[in-house]
Amino acid sequence: MASHVVHLVLYSAIVALFFAVLTRRERREQLRFAGLVFAGMTGGVLVLAYLMYPFPR
Amino acid sequence: MAASTASPARTATALLAGWILPGAGHAVLGRLRRGIVFFVLVMGSFGLGLAHDGRLALYSSREWLLSSMQVLANVGVGPADTIARVGVYGEAAYMRKDGDPDPHQEARIETFRSRWRSALSIYGTAYLWTAGLMNLLLLLDVWDLSRGRKD
Repeated sequence: MASHVVHLVLYSAIVALFFAVLTRRERREQLRFAGLVFAGMTGGVLVLAYLMYPFPR
Repeated sequence: MAASTASPARTATALLAGWILPGAGHAVLGRLRRGIVFFVLVMGSFGLGLAHDGRLALYSSREWLLSSMQVLANVGVGPADTIARVGVYGEAAYMRKDGDPDPHQEARIETFRSRWRSALSIYGTAYLWTAGLMNLLLLLDVWDLSRGRKD
């Protein structure tokens, strides 16, 4: 499986869940925090990708 | 209300168990469900790393700082790393000596380079390092729990 997007989603999900369970105690807080981290990671990467798009390799 | 502290023996047991089996430290301290979640996440990441040709780092004196940090990130996951090394290198290899004519060393370096050349290796290596670093963070969490700094 060599898709950047699939690995971005998978990796972000693992890291988001890990830190949510590590740092939050209530289930509701864990879900909220995991969602925030996941959105931050995937969204941040997509924004960065668009910013880098005009530059040649 | 302050969380209770664990005895030194229980703390040591939890730390050792947590290194040997990710999440087991939390289970020893009575956080079984959390331990199971951590086990699934850490070993899932580790499994994805191995399935994607992740590089099991070898210490090299030429790049001592970088390679030792990479080995540390790998070793963080516990004995599973050693088992993976036996599967990949045919032995529990942690070092490489570049330029050494020993066939063992040459084979080890060639195995490392062949994984390096794999198109999947960048993903696999990230998963492997993440698994090890997550487990090292879990050990710090176990320490905090056993000291009563967290509940």
